[in-house]
Amino acid sequence: MARTTPLMIDIATGDTRPIVRQITDAVRIKISTGEIEPGDQLPSVRGLAQQLGINPNTVAKAYGELTTEGWLEARQGMGLYVAPRRQRLSRGERERRLDDAVQRFVAEVVPLNVAVDDVHTRIDAEFAALQRRRA
Amino acid sequence: MSQLVIETEGLSKRFGNKFALDDLSLAIAPGRIHALVGANGAGKSTLFRILLGFLSPSAGTARVLGRDCSALTPSDRTLVGYVNEEHTLPEWMRVRELKSMRQREYKGWNARAFDEVIGHYQVLPEQRVRELSRGERAGFNLALALAQSPQLLILDEPTLGLDVVAKRAFLESLMYSNATEHCTVIYCSHQMEEIERIADDLIVLERGRLMSHSPPDEFCARISHWICDIPFMGPEPATIPGYLMRQKLDGLHHYFVLDQDAAFAEFLRSNGARSANCMPVSLDRAVNAFLAKNHATPTHSR
Repeated sequence: MARTTPLMIDIATGDTRPIVRQITDAVRIKISTGEIEPGDQLPSVRGLAQQLGINPNTVAKAYGELTTEGWLEARQGMGLYVAPRRQRLSRGERERRLDDAVQRFVAEVVPLNVAVDDVHTRIDAEFAALQRRRA
Repeated sequence: MSQLVIETEGLSKRFGNKFALDDLSLAIAPGRIHALVGANGAGKSTLFRILLGFLSPSAGTARVLGRDCSALTPSDRTLVGYVNEEHTLPEWMRVRELKSMRQREYKGWNARAFDEVIGHYQVLPEQRVRELSRGERAGFNLALALAQSPQLLILDEPTLGLDVVAKRAFLESLMYSNATEHCTVIYCSHQMEEIERIADDLIVLERGRLMSHSPPDEFCARISHWICDIPFMGPEPATIPGYLMRQKLDGLHHYFVLDQDAAFAEFLRSNGARSANCMPVSLDRAVNAFLAKNHATPTHSR
């Protein structure tokens, strides 16, 4: 029985993001959306390298960055796991990013001429769906 | 730090009036996959021929695994594997015969590595080399080269002309075989897609000179693509800092430049740009722009 959680990602060559970056971005998104959860075991360096058809050193580099940033943790002789959820950004940085995201969102939604109440309902529904996936 | 696998100093090779290698100083540390790129005629094959001791330099020195390339002994040569794009092997020999001949020649023969690689291809022991398809010959050639347990493996456009399955099998053998674990690989290719997938290190040669030597993503990060709106003519290329390449598309000027930061936007504005936007480039674009600068073009198009 495989204890490894499959990592359903792919990389593209010819992208402006280096492959290391494509992997770290994809894993961060999977963790943030709850698609993979704290305690899940990631594929081995070699396994993911073969899945993606890339050099194992590239995977090792991506895993290294994610571990340093606290998204993953190594367990001695067992491999890599998704780390327990904790706050990775300072309060000020979170405020700034939230502000950015809201500004961008508002700028995109205003031209659509949708009722504000409808927008609220949709947002609530999205968050509720996310909560259900995490639960 | 252990000894360098390849070390050249002031290496030059002249054919008539043309320098194939021009004062090339290159140092490659052990391990990993080092990709070598350059336009046609950049001197890659000449470099390999010198490293293998087939050709003597006009000036400078070249060392492989700490030994002088002009004085390699047969036992030194067993430590260097070489796979060329033609996959040159004796056509009249049978697979079985060629394999056992190599097995006798190389003391460190690794039968497991051979089987591991050849297993990806339908090569029968009684087949003659000339009866093998291009892909099968490539696989057989790589199997032979890996089985000799080389410390240095030089691959000169090894996947040229292979179908997608054979190419993938070839790259997998190279990246995931245990036989390459203690081996330094020099990989020469024009296929950026491949290089992006396999290379730890990128070496760019141009007209026999070393132009860049760094991890591929660092190389990529040095090159940026600017799009700006300049009425009429843009600035003269000679005046543009870090200039590599330009294009004019739908009235907008596109510039590919090296080692420029946000200050480049100021340069463009001071040359009449009403807007200037910057974006990163892919490895393919980066190498293309880098080599385009001095690439031969018909004079009338300039």
